[in-house]
This record gives sequence, C-alpha cells and structure tokens, in this order.
Amino acid sequence: MKRLTFSLALILSATAGLHGAGPAPAVMPAREAYVMHFNSDWKIVSGLPEKVLLIGLQGLANRTAPRFYIVHAADFPWEITGPLKDFYERKHGVHFTELTTAEEALAQFAQYAKGYVVWDPAVMPTMNVAYTIAGLEDAVMVTPALIPLAERHGLKPIDDLRGRYNGKTDAQIYTDAKSRYWARCSHDKLMLMGGHRGDIRIPGIADWGVREKMFFHDLSANPIHADELALEKQFFSELNPGGTIFGWHVYGKDTEEQHTTLISTYGLKMEGLQSLPNLSFNCQFGFTPGFKFTNHHHVTPEQKLTAQAKVYISFVQSDGIGIGVWTKPGRGRIPLAWGAIMGWVHFSPAALEYFHESATPADYFIGGLSGPSYMYPNHIPANRFGLLMQEASDLMKVLDETIFEIMDNSAADGNVGNADLTKETVDRYYAAFPDAAGFINGYGPARTRDLRGSRPLISYDYYIDPRRPREDVTADMNELIALNAKRPYFLLVHVRESNDVNSLVEVIKQLTGPVEVVPLDTFMKLAASNQTYVTRYQHPDDPKHFKGY
Amino acid sequence: MVGNLPMKRTLLKFLLGLALLPLAALAGDPAINGRWRMDPARSTALDSWTTMDLVIATDGSKVGLRHDMTWHATKVTATNTVDTVAPVEIVNFFRVDQRHMAVYPQPKEAAHVTAAWLDGGRTLRVEAQVPLETSQGNATMRLYEEYRLLEGGNELLLIELHSTRSRPLVYHFTKVPEEAAKK
Repeated sequence: MKRLTFSLALILSATAGLHGAGPAPAVMPAREAYVMHFNSDWKIVSGLPEKVLLIGLQGLANRTAPRFYIVHAADFPWEITGPLKDFYERKHGVHFTELTTAEEALAQFAQYAKGYVVWDPAVMPTMNVAYTIAGLEDAVMVTPALIPLAERHGLKPIDDLRGRYNGKTDAQIYTDAKSRYWARCSHDKLMLMGGHRGDIRIPGIADWGVREKMFFHDLSANPIHADELALEKQFFSELNPGGTIFGWHVYGKDTEEQHTTLISTYGLKMEGLQSLPNLSFNCQFGFTPGFKFTNHHHVTPEQKLTAQAKVYISFVQSDGIGIGVWTKPGRGRIPLAWGAIMGWVHFSPAALEYFHESATPADYFIGGLSGPSYMYPNHIPANRFGLLMQEASDLMKVLDETIFEIMDNSAADGNVGNADLTKETVDRYYAAFPDAAGFINGYGPARTRDLRGSRPLISYDYYIDPRRPREDVTADMNELIALNAKRPYFLLVHVRESNDVNSLVEVIKQLTGPVEVVPLDTFMKLAASNQTYVTRYQHPDDPKHFKGY
Repeated sequence: MVGNLPMKRTLLKFLLGLALLPLAALAGDPAINGRWRMDPARSTALDSWTTMDLVIATDGSKVGLRHDMTWHATKVTATNTVDTVAPVEIVNFFRVDQRHMAVYPQPKEAAHVTAAWLDGGRTLRVEAQVPLETSQGNATMRLYEEYRLLEGGNELLLIELHSTRSRPLVYHFTKVPEEAAKK
C-alpha cells in the first residue's frame, strides 16, 4: 500500500510539469514555439534527408524547452498532430510561428547545435549511428548534399560517417557504434529505429531519441540473424531494469511478435511506433491546471447486472489511440472502448488530455497493453512482473480506468493464431490488479477466458480487418452468433485501427437475434453474471507459430 | 432375323450403358485434376489468408483436396482426402476458415465426410460434419461444398455453405498450366 501511494505520488508529480531530462517547472507559462508542416515524401532519394535533419534538429531545439513542433500530412500514421497543435494553442497558450523551409528552421535552431555529422544514404545504418551522435554531440545530421546548408548556418563538421561502414554488416556496424557511443548513451531508453525497409524510412520518433541521448539501431530479433540477435541481447541485458525500448521493429527483418517477445523476456517495455512524432515537444507539457481524468463509466464498482437471454456485443479499439479513428467521423455513434497509451502519462500527457477532453459518452478508456506499455506477459520474468504491473495499476488509477487489456502474440502469426495466456499468467494478473473490474485479451481472436468472483477475463471472439467487406463482417458475426447458441452470448470484438465507425453501425443493423451493443464496463458486469463461456487457458498442445528464444 | 439385328444392338447398348452408369457416376472428369489458383477478384474475400491454391488428385474413388495457403511469409498445406463411395472420418479436417473468428477445430476430433460425383463427374460434392471449438464450448458445423468444373475445363468454382452462415462462400479458381505448376 505504501509503495502504491508512493508510486502514485511520483506519477502525479511527474505529470504536473516537465518530463524527461530536466526538472519540472511549477507553472507552464504562455510561450512561443515554431511549427513546420511536413509533406508525405519519406523517400530516401528525395524527402528523407531533409526530414532526418529537421527531426534531429527538433530533438536539439526541444532539449530545454518546447520550441519546435511538426504537423504531419493527412496520410501520416499518427493523425493527431494537427488537432494536438490546436490543443496546445487553446489550452496551453502556445503561439506557433510557421517555418516553411529547412533554411528557416536552421536559422532559428542552429544555435542549439554544435556542428554537423554526415551520414550516407547509400549505407542506411549510418542514419542511426548519426542520430546517436547527434544526441551525444548536439549535432545536426546532414547528407553530403546538405553540408552547404549546415555550413551556411555556421555549423562545422563533428563527424563524417562516409566510408566508415561501407561493406559492413548491420551487426558489425552496430558493434562498432556500441564500442564508440553506448557508454555515454541513456541506459534507461533505447531507440529501435525500425519500420519500413526499401526506399522509405519514417523516423518520426527520432527527436525523442536525440533529446534523450539514446542509442539508435535497427537490429533484428529474428533467430536467423544470430549475430544481430546476440548484439541486441547485449544491449537489453545492459539496460537498467525497467528500461524502455522506443520505436518499432524492422519490417522484413523480423516480426513484431519476435521483437516484443524478446523485449518482454528481459522485462523491458516497448513504446511504439518509430513514426510517433513530437515526443520531445509533448513531454514538456503537463496536464492543464485542475484537469483530472474522468472516464465515462456506465456502471459502478458495486453495481450488479444480470444478463438477459440475448447477444451482448462490445467493441474495442486498441491500436494506439492516435493511429485509430479518433479523428474520423462517426465516433460516438456506438459504445467503443479505447486503449489509450498509458505511458503517455510520462511523455505525452497533453495528448492524453486531448483524447479525454474530446471523448464522447460512448468513448471508454481502458488500460494496457499487457503492462505499463506493450509487452507479452507469458514471457515477462516472474521477478519483474509484479513491479511492472504495479506501475500499470498506478497509471490506471491516474487515468480512471478499471478494465485492463492484455495481449500476447508471442506464439501468434501476425494477428492470427495463438494469442492465449497460460494459467500462470492469468493467475498473476488477477493477483496484480485486485482493483480491476476485469480483463480482456487478444488482438486477433483468442480463447483465454476466466471468471473469478465478479471479475471476468474475456478474449476477443472476432477481429475486424478494416479491409474486409462489411457484408462479410456481418456474415462472420452472424455466424459466431449461430455457433455460440447459448444465451447470453458475450461477443467481444476488436476493431482494427482504421475501421470506419459508421460502417460498424451498418453492420450492427444487419445482425440477427436479440443483439445489444453495450459499453465494455457494462459488458464485463453482464459477463460476470452468467458464465456461458468456457474457462480456458493456453494449452501446451495449442499450435505455436513462434516458439520463443 | 437379320432385320431385327439393329434393334438388338440398340438394346445391347442400352443395357451396357445402364450397367456402366454407376461406374460413370463414380468417376470424376480427369480435367478436374491439377493445380487451381484462386482469383481474389472473383471470390469471397479471404480473411487472414493471402492466397489459396487447390490441388485436386483423383485416385479411384478417392479424391485428394490439397489446400496450399499463404499468409504473408507463412505457408500452410493441408489435404482432405474424401471418398466418393464411402464416408470417411478426417481428423484435422481443413476448411478455409475465417481466422479472425474465434472458431477452432476440436483437437483430435474427426469430421464425418461424404463425397460424390455429380453432373457426369464435373462436380464433386463434399458434405462434412465439422467438430469445432467456440467460446461457449464444442459445436458442429454442417458444411456443404461443390467443386464445379466449368465449361472449357480451365476454371473451377467452389461453392461452400455452412449450416451456421446465411451467406455462401464462393471461390473462383483458374487452372495452373502443368509446367507452371511444377515450378
């Protein structure tokens, strides 16, 4: 209890002001800042070099104050950069001045750099090494073509990676970089600058890595890349306990399942994606004075509900709230639970406040994912589980959340396959979250289910791929209703990120039987009243796509 | 006598035809054998499968229905061998499931499967009682399939009905030339 009180106090004090490297100011004064609007060109041969420069520069400019914000194009994965800028203007009194070119940005912010480092687009890992150097040496990152631009603003060369890593493997490059820079980098945070391969990169989160002096890499967690995997394990083993991996795995080199499994095996936390923008700016704003998270609860903890002989459906959108449909039309038409990213309490509180402020009564926030950030619980070491879940539980209290979402795709194949929890894992969750009203599990469908006292654990029975034709979605859901013939039937549905809420409304109209769509907290209460679902855990014989390390 | 010979020949042909009719009903059109590739544009949307090839091989009354499925880098091959003269019990009966539904095969339980040639061997009908696991426990899906060889022999239509689904699943296949299929 003492630890809980202490942890909550820490979180609440942290969210009151500055987060990250510096101390927290008592009051957030009105301030001037600059904004750039990015286009959609992230190609290595065209738009990327300048964006790499600007995002790195953003990390330097924002090191001691929030000075530089980036609004991304409409098709950018994170759709909230525009609305969040408006929020800063409206709620924090930020006045933004537009910058339109890299020249203008350097004119404004070159003062925060001590020089430049040259990276080579022909050897892409040099981008990551240069980002590491940028953070440590306060360097602006340039390709050879951009050297004159940096020099026009009085910057001198600090390092030049051209030729240093030609012909070397990724493992060799990062082994060398580790020997040169790792000792001076943060050992609480590591940057996995993965994502796209081929002709584009989207290093949107690099400003955060530069600001926090992280080591950047894109090593593989795929066992077929044994040398890279071994090196990454070294990094993980040398991180401080409770450390966080920012960014995302490398598409094509390994899988999300492999990387998250590996990270979880070390009891570390994962915060994605590699494209997540503006953290160096966002981390410096706390919640506005007097703001308190108030979730739209539909039932009280003591309330008892009795399920009727019907089909109860609840929808959950869990893919990182900012990349979902929050800003799209239709939200509020049906009850929808949202997996807000709890870690943003620490480094992007304004974004969380923005979501809560704009929530409709139909929007309900839940905790997750699996821990204080994205983890696979079947692989979290027992001696780390309690501490991590205490952190998650404390964050849920701050965010006024009562339902916790779990996901373990370590044995799954993308969003299909085995997403189940062992009984031991389920036991740990029930013990670690005594105040939670219940748990949900999965990403794709899963079959871990339980009911202990009045607290159910329900897995998704259906996952809606945004590309699936709506008539097929309707047929799928009707088939589930037919196959699960007992009433009540509790049908928990995961709504993939970019699904259109309006189309879901049309699907619901076509469902057969006595159907009721209910908010998730109501759903859990009803599910506790009549267990028509079978208690089940991951079975050793269940197929596993990836068997772990 | 001589004048009755044509009539006798006709009768003989008729009786011979009658005698051979059951055998004809047992035999599929050889053109149905081979590798068939699903055409996504003309088929029901697959959910969490990327591609589907069907490899049909008849051997007497037995018909092998091999499904070569892909999902990104994952490849799955599963064969249901049905028999057009007798029911068979098939453990791990493969169906083109919508894998985003929490509907799983019951481990170690067999599906009861019957099959027959229809339409002069140009259609294979398969009926199965498929044991499944859902969130409420065990359930059985009655599944009805017709594999129809279309005119010209280069296209195959698979129509699948579920006792639990009001909407048929329709998959359109095109024959993969023998040389290409070997690659």
